[in-house]
Amino acid sequence: MSASVTGARGRDFRGSLRTERGHEAVVGLAFIAIPMVLFLVLQIFAIGYAFVISFFDWGIRGAREFVGLANYQELLADRVFITKAIPNTLFLTAVVVPAQMALGLALAVIVNQGIRGQTFFRAAFFFPSIASSAAIVVLFTFLTQPQGLINTVLGFFGIESNTNWTNEPGTALPSIMALLVWTTSGTMMLFYLAALQGISHELYEAAAIDGANWWSAFWKITFPLLQPAHFFVAVVSVIGALQMFDAAFIAGGKDGSPANSLTTMVLFLYQSWSGFEFGFAAAVGIVLLVLLMSLTLIQRRFFGQTPSW
Amino acid sequence: MATLADLAPRSVGVPKRQGGWRRGLAYLLLTAWALLMFVPFVWTIVTSLKDRPEAMAIGLPAAPDLDAYAHVWSRVDPTLPQLFLNSLGLAAAVSISNVILGSLAAYAFARLRFPGREIIFLVVLATLMIPDQLRLVPVYQIMNGLGFTKSNPTNYLSVFLVLAVSATSIFLLRQYFLGIPRDLDEAARIDGAGHFQTYWKVILPLAGPALAAVAILQFQGTWNGLFWPAIFFGPVREHWTLPFGIVQFQGIYQTDWPPLMAIVVVATVPILCLYVFFQRYFIEGIAASGVKG
Repeated sequence: MSASVTGARGRDFRGSLRTERGHEAVVGLAFIAIPMVLFLVLQIFAIGYAFVISFFDWGIRGAREFVGLANYQELLADRVFITKAIPNTLFLTAVVVPAQMALGLALAVIVNQGIRGQTFFRAAFFFPSIASSAAIVVLFTFLTQPQGLINTVLGFFGIESNTNWTNEPGTALPSIMALLVWTTSGTMMLFYLAALQGISHELYEAAAIDGANWWSAFWKITFPLLQPAHFFVAVVSVIGALQMFDAAFIAGGKDGSPANSLTTMVLFLYQSWSGFEFGFAAAVGIVLLVLLMSLTLIQRRFFGQTPSW
Repeated sequence: MATLADLAPRSVGVPKRQGGWRRGLAYLLLTAWALLMFVPFVWTIVTSLKDRPEAMAIGLPAAPDLDAYAHVWSRVDPTLPQLFLNSLGLAAAVSISNVILGSLAAYAFARLRFPGREIIFLVVLATLMIPDQLRLVPVYQIMNGLGFTKSNPTNYLSVFLVLAVSATSIFLLRQYFLGIPRDLDEAARIDGAGHFQTYWKVILPLAGPALAAVAILQFQGTWNGLFWPAIFFGPVREHWTLPFGIVQFQGIYQTDWPPLMAIVVVATVPILCLYVFFQRYFIEGIAASGVKG
């Protein structure tokens, strides 16, 4: 209010610091107005709303009745959620995150050796990260057919296999996990590459004088100095793994077929949502948020650092 | 004694000597991994040129033809051109709106003083931690309440509003704007330029690379995006985008691979072209969102 008054007065007292400040504030708020309304409604309000919805029996016609924690109780008693969605999600996260990090770091270090064609390799490794998940997963399903390219290549190495990798309960999840590592290691490589550029050369000079070899220089200098990058990559990677939806949905449909082997927490949320159990689905979302936040806190402990964003 | 070239993870400006076997091993690993990246895509293209009976056979098509493309071009519903235009329209709209809304907000956060600026910016960044899927239930309810899920054009609006401006865009642009010397805008201000003119005539022309990075990353993200189109376009066939179309057709075609691979090729090629020509912006954009953050 006072801002608009000083803004109007600004014309009379041009150059006055106070009116200039007021005008600047009005312009500033105007510049951020549209994004902030969108964030306020679709992010901040949305989270609170999800929380509220999770306490209701909320169907297609809206809130029917307040049920307290009933949705959460039902959720914790749900066999698919407890024996499939949670274990699948945690297993996927526990394997994919370290694999992505290790592979991303290895690729970054190798690409960064000052070799010829560095730009080409960097670009090539990043390519699967920019292709659409739908295209990649359908392509992957094709390659993993019983008569597909992957089994043919395995046969070439003497491993006879008729496995329909993405369509058998035992192999579906590990296959999709391999796919995730394949597509996203390029992104992790980019994060590590950028961090590697920040390490001073003098450290390696000193190590060279001390007679350190490449391997010990890597573990004693490069690896510890990449700490902030490890933290960032771990956080990004965990968030991605916990939210895994696209690949599971495309390969296994809404039910995470076969036999719920691809049902992740987020796919479970989508299932409940498309069954019009909105209150229940919202509860799944809240549980996911709690899990995500606690894992981020644990990582912070583990890496002893706060995210700078 | 180990030489510097052996130890440094980046040997720019460092004399490259010896270490021949290690270099050779590096090339071997890199080439193997690069093949692992490319072979599947090459295989997709090869398969799209085949006939159905030979689709699973390992080898080149006996008589390569574009039948699979012709089929998806006109004989599926929605047709390939329709899917393509839907994806293009949505991706372009989201990309443009992120550039405009994101750069205005980023200018305010980087250059203008207003009450609550730091806190608001932190809140914006915090939204990056919120999973999209968590917002599914409430956002659908909100759009439903606004009547944006009921008729065709408003379904489109729902998806657009969800994607119209992302915290990443604002963050990337703000970082870049902070790197532009303040002297430049002060000179413009002394010449009598207002805030909007400074933003428009001084900052934007200097921020080309950052604007390009945001435009390209948002275009790519939306072009590939499956989640929100699946939520809001599910029942509205004529709005399906390429990724959602691929998922739906996968159920219909089952093992008729050539047409499916043809759609995959069409969905991938535009992004590949964008990537080949603007690789720098992809990589800088991704790296900047990580490092400086």
